Amino acid sequence: MLFPAALGLGLPLGIGLAAIGSGIGIGFLGKGAMEAMGRQPEILPKLQVAMIIGFGFAEALTIYAFVTMFFLQGRIG
Amino acid sequence: MDQARPGRDILDRALRTSWIAALALAAAVAPGRPLDAAAILAGQLLAFLHFIFLRKIVKLFTEGGRDPRLALAIGAKVVLVYGGLAGLITLGGVRYVPLCVGFALPFLTLFLKSIMLALGAGPASLTARRATETARSFGNAAKPAVFLLLLGAATLLAFSALPGAALADEAAHGAPAAQEATATHHAEEGAAELPNWLVILHDFNPGNPLVSWLEKNQVIVFAWIAGLLFLLVSWLAMRKPKMVPGPFQNGVEWMVESMEEVCGGLLGPQIDKHFPLIGALFFYILTINMLGIIPGMKSATSSLDLTLALALITFLYVQFWGIRNLGILGYLDHLAGSPRDAIGWAMLPVMLPVHILGELAKPVSLSCRLFGNIFGEDTLIVVFVGATALLIKASLVALAVPPMAGITALFMMLQTLTSIVQALIFSLLATVYLYMMLPHEAHAHEEAHETH
Repeated sequence: MLFPAALGLGLPLGIGLAAIGSGIGIGFLGKGAMEAMGRQPEILPKLQVAMIIGFGFAEALTIYAFVTMFFLQGRIG
Repeated sequence: MDQARPGRDILDRALRTSWIAALALAAAVAPGRPLDAAAILAGQLLAFLHFIFLRKIVKLFTEGGRDPRLALAIGAKVVLVYGGLAGLITLGGVRYVPLCVGFALPFLTLFLKSIMLALGAGPASLTARRATETARSFGNAAKPAVFLLLLGAATLLAFSALPGAALADEAAHGAPAAQEATATHHAEEGAAELPNWLVILHDFNPGNPLVSWLEKNQVIVFAWIAGLLFLLVSWLAMRKPKMVPGPFQNGVEWMVESMEEVCGGLLGPQIDKHFPLIGALFFYILTINMLGIIPGMKSATSSLDLTLALALITFLYVQFWGIRNLGILGYLDHLAGSPRDAIGWAMLPVMLPVHILGELAKPVSLSCRLFGNIFGEDTLIVVFVGATALLIKASLVALAVPPMAGITALFMMLQTLTSIVQALIFSLLATVYLYMMLPHEAHAHEEAHETH
């Protein structure tokens, strides 16, 4: 397989796979936060902040794939 | 009866303003393209008739009774306005864009007038009766906003006139090669992002060195605009601070205080020292992101340059405070993962590079997250606008515009949400990074955070 072709196939696929992982992570975070909110509505503000920070960390993994794509994008040809 | 009058007044005023605007626009276009000027005026006339008939119908309908004039007015409206519009488009050989511009003018002026009236900024004769003191002071603050809205509308009009101008040029030169070149040029640019007013300015004055400099550095220009807006709002709110704040000062104070509360929950009492940077980051990024929603403007954060600069500032600030609070040795100890026992020292060659890489990944993830999210939202809207443009090109206006406008508006709401959330995440993560660097008693807590 040609290198550009492999790259053209692999980069979007890699981002997709990374997005699956981030999606699962964010989903679990959201689930946990929702359940906690349901049980203890009074901790809502603190919970929201922690949840958003967690989203940020989970999302960062996809961002790394995104950055890799930017590095290698020019070599697709 | 008295309550009905402001509504009628405002309709009269809006129609008058729209006539003035239409005449000015037509006069500006007339020397080069008399047909387009006529189309603008025809569109304006049709919209004017639409409102006149609408008022008549509403009046007849509300006054009750089975008045035969009601059916007559409705029939006349349908035949004259809609029939005229359809006839002009199908038979007259009039171009869509000027006709639509002319037809939209009364709606636009009515919309703007209603906004101004609602905000208490209308002419005295209208507002004096309705607006309370609060509403009027709000209106004074809203005047710049309405002005910005007007500016956006004007640039949008210029933008919609642009393809027409390009087509006219091609027709004049009759060179298919040039036509192809401009077509691909526009297609390439359209795929990337919507043209903002600097690009339009550059298209009209290609030779001007100042304009081309501005166009080349548009990210900086839009970042400046956002910064100036941010300064203006804070200056307006805090110009004369009062103990019992007015609505505007109150709103701004509420935003700042709630942000400080959120960050203070993470950072504790040290927030006082660091809030100037964190709060400024939040509100600055928020302003920049929101700027992209105005037509003709651009979010400067959809370029990696600006987000990387912001992330580097945060990174340097965090490292500076880390060294200052922990001391050089403490900072190195922190980077080495705080080795306390034999296993810790044995792991040192592994832990040190990992921690350094982790520190270096922070600005990368901060900047790329902001850039990726805002750029992605912008691209999404560009795709839908591009699809609308394609359908309009294929003469499917009725099919294209209403659903596409709806979808675009929906995505703009999503963009508002993304703007706020991304600004919040950026500043909250900056707070967290700072928190990890500062010394605190509960060390185990820090370890839990560092596993990220």
